Amino acid sequence: MSSTLSANTPAEAREAAEEFRTVHSAIRKEVGRMMVGQDATVDGVLAALFAAGHVLLEGVPGLGKTLLVSSLGKAIDLSFSRIQFTPDMMPADIRGTNVLSETETGGTKLEFQSGPLVANLVLADEINRATPRTQAALLESMQEKQISVGKRTIKLDDPFCVMATQNPVEQEGTYPLPEAQLDRFLFKLVVGYPAENDYRTILRRTTSNEEIDLKPVSDANTVIRMRQVVRAVPVPEHVETDAIRLVMATQPGNEYTASMVNEVVALGASPRGVQALILAGKVRALLEGRFAVATEDLKAVAPDVLRHRVLVNFQGMSEGITSDDVIAEVLK
Amino acid sequence: MSTHDSDQLQQDIKTVAWNASNQIQSTDQRAALAAHVPRALGLLLVVPIAGLLLQGIRYLEGWQAASIFPLVVWVGLTVAVPLGWFLYKAGTLRISIDRQRALLAADRQLGSADRITTADEFMQKSTTSGFMEAAVDDAATWAEQGRDTRLSMNVDSQPRKILAWLAVPASALLLGLVFLAGHYTRPVAVLNADSPGMFTPLIDNPESPNSDNDVDLKEPQPEDTDDSLKKPAKEPRKQRAVNRQGEANAAIPDSAEESDGKLNEGETRESQQASNPSSARGAPSASGQPSKSDDEQKPRKKSKKKSKPERERDKKERKEDEKPSGASAGQGSSKGSDNNAAPSDWASTSQAATPEDENIEDEDDVDDEEEEQESRGGVQPNMRDRRTPVNRDLQIGFGNARPNPDANGRGGPSGQKKSRGVASLVLGVPIPDRINGQPNKGRIRITQQRITPEIEESEQVPAQGRTTLNGPVGPMHHPKLEPWLQNLVRTYFLNQREQTPLRTSEKDDETNISDDSLQTSSNAESDSPQS
Repeated sequence: MSSTLSANTPAEAREAAEEFRTVHSAIRKEVGRMMVGQDATVDGVLAALFAAGHVLLEGVPGLGKTLLVSSLGKAIDLSFSRIQFTPDMMPADIRGTNVLSETETGGTKLEFQSGPLVANLVLADEINRATPRTQAALLESMQEKQISVGKRTIKLDDPFCVMATQNPVEQEGTYPLPEAQLDRFLFKLVVGYPAENDYRTILRRTTSNEEIDLKPVSDANTVIRMRQVVRAVPVPEHVETDAIRLVMATQPGNEYTASMVNEVVALGASPRGVQALILAGKVRALLEGRFAVATEDLKAVAPDVLRHRVLVNFQGMSEGITSDDVIAEVLK
Repeated sequence: MSTHDSDQLQQDIKTVAWNASNQIQSTDQRAALAAHVPRALGLLLVVPIAGLLLQGIRYLEGWQAASIFPLVVWVGLTVAVPLGWFLYKAGTLRISIDRQRALLAADRQLGSADRITTADEFMQKSTTSGFMEAAVDDAATWAEQGRDTRLSMNVDSQPRKILAWLAVPASALLLGLVFLAGHYTRPVAVLNADSPGMFTPLIDNPESPNSDNDVDLKEPQPEDTDDSLKKPAKEPRKQRAVNRQGEANAAIPDSAEESDGKLNEGETRESQQASNPSSARGAPSASGQPSKSDDEQKPRKKSKKKSKPERERDKKERKEDEKPSGASAGQGSSKGSDNNAAPSDWASTSQAATPEDENIEDEDDVDDEEEEQESRGGVQPNMRDRRTPVNRDLQIGFGNARPNPDANGRGGPSGQKKSRGVASLVLGVPIPDRINGQPNKGRIRITQQRITPEIEESEQVPAQGRTTLNGPVGPMHHPKLEPWLQNLVRTYFLNQREQTPLRTSEKDDETNISDDSLQTSSNAESDSPQS
């Protein structure tokens, strides 16, 4: 399968969009064999993957966050690595470092030993348990798709996607992610509890001898191609206007800002938020069978895109207002 | 997409936009006109209120016309004003609907997820991509559906302003009042020509506009007459009080002092001020008029500070109240404040030379000064309390180890201590020290008293007279000892007693030595130059 996109004609565009839906459906179905009751989360993770973004999964323990990411790695046939973050983890532990190794001739040489960050899919488990120094080591890799160790700069393979998880309840001994790093995540998905029927399915699958072996239904080239399809989706001007005003409405003191936002929001979404809105809207438009982004796509993806970019101030927190409440107010 | 299809799509989109814009325009117009209705209803009150004002002016000015306009004219004007304004607003209402807005409204109603709007926008672009053309093709079905569908715009249901409709009965009520007010005229008071200052209210006859009373009103009146017209309710009352007081003074002159300083019910102080001088001069009828100087003093009086004569008068009244009633008998004037029993004119300046008056003058100066400070509105502090502001330098000493006299380490004149360093960065509520400048719970207060030293005599006891104590030394604590310890103590003291003779001889030796030393010291004293 070619990794370059050719969609100059309506027929090719239709074919590319159809292929996108097919690939998405196949991956979703394969991951769904392992993951039960988390369809929205799976859709969000796949949207982030196809939009070339990173995902932050937040949920209490036991909901299958780690299982979802590992399943995705198996279903797409991507190089997958998992980093279990701990407070004593150093940047070199995730990026890699130069080690002294012995040559065949008996001499020694410095050799770069790459860390777990050098992979297509990186699961950063409990990312908020790492120190800010280690968290900052992810910044360059997430934004520039490269890592620098000493004088060496290593370009990470495409596709590169960081899927981090964090636990919202056990905050003792954690280091909350700084806004600069939160902004680099395309989505922040809140993983909720499954429904009652889903519990039964989970029990049958996990407490019996049945072993689920996921098979790869896609590969890296396909993912790259799907990313190109996503980028080819046009955005009408009025939708761009809506996206810009939507983001500006989250910024306190703006002309589009509601009074409630002015009172309870300390920090609004950045221009990176608009980019994320449009990219996520393109994915949704393709999945909805359209060839252009609509305003309703923006409204559908806005909570996941803006949730971690809107910072509620002390007054808002004291009143029990969350960023989701702010976004709901903005979308009115 | 073929050209034919493209043209068809453009035509469909144009039709959809036209239909939608018409619908939106009519909807917006209805909404705009509905928004003007409460204002128009409010304008119903304008003409009746204006009519009431006119009737009020007519009543006050004494116009004799029964009504300015007939009732029909009032009703016509009342309806015409809001109707004209509403028609003007409706005629000047211009609502222009943007094409994109119309298409978006159509998209929203069709549920086409902005497909028609997007297609319209993409069709106007010069360069298109495959996805754009696909999006245009995708919109063809929706545009065709929108062309055949009559759009119904949802009007935002605005809350009906029921209160605005209350303007209709209110307007009718006011019109009725206007009509009824036209039948009333104002009773006019004219002056009595025989006794200036005395007047009797007369009911004006509206049917005789050329009567003498009206002529008197229209002619330029003297000042007293103007005052009486301006204060129709207050002046007769004052006049009655003057007359009553004047008669009382003429009949019983000695009782003037008893009544002074006590205001009867309904009397003003001015009425009594006006009556008392007349009693002093013994001319009750002629001088019963309040003098002009009194009238001029009134506006000068402030609410906070009384004028100088008034203060003097109050003070003297207080003094007279304290006097026995017989002491002031025969003074003839309630305002004779000095001890001189002879009646005197209040206005004479010779009384100001008394020491009491000088004291009053001094007090007035102080009062004036206080008033000056109060008159600044309290913005500026008292000049006596104005001190040099404390230096905000927190350093106790300068760089050259010289103490800074103004720095008290508090960083300002307030009692609250300003902190520096890390403590100032801590978010918190500043809590004032319990005791200013004291880190501990409080300070040790040292009071100094001047006491004259007194000589105390005591017997001098010579050194030789000091012997061992013979009397009891008071209760002593005897710890309970174990039997074996009691035996040990007993044995110890028995051994001590056995050794007593030896210690006595040693004591004698020590006594000798002390005698020698005493002798040496006495010799030394005798060798001193003082001896």
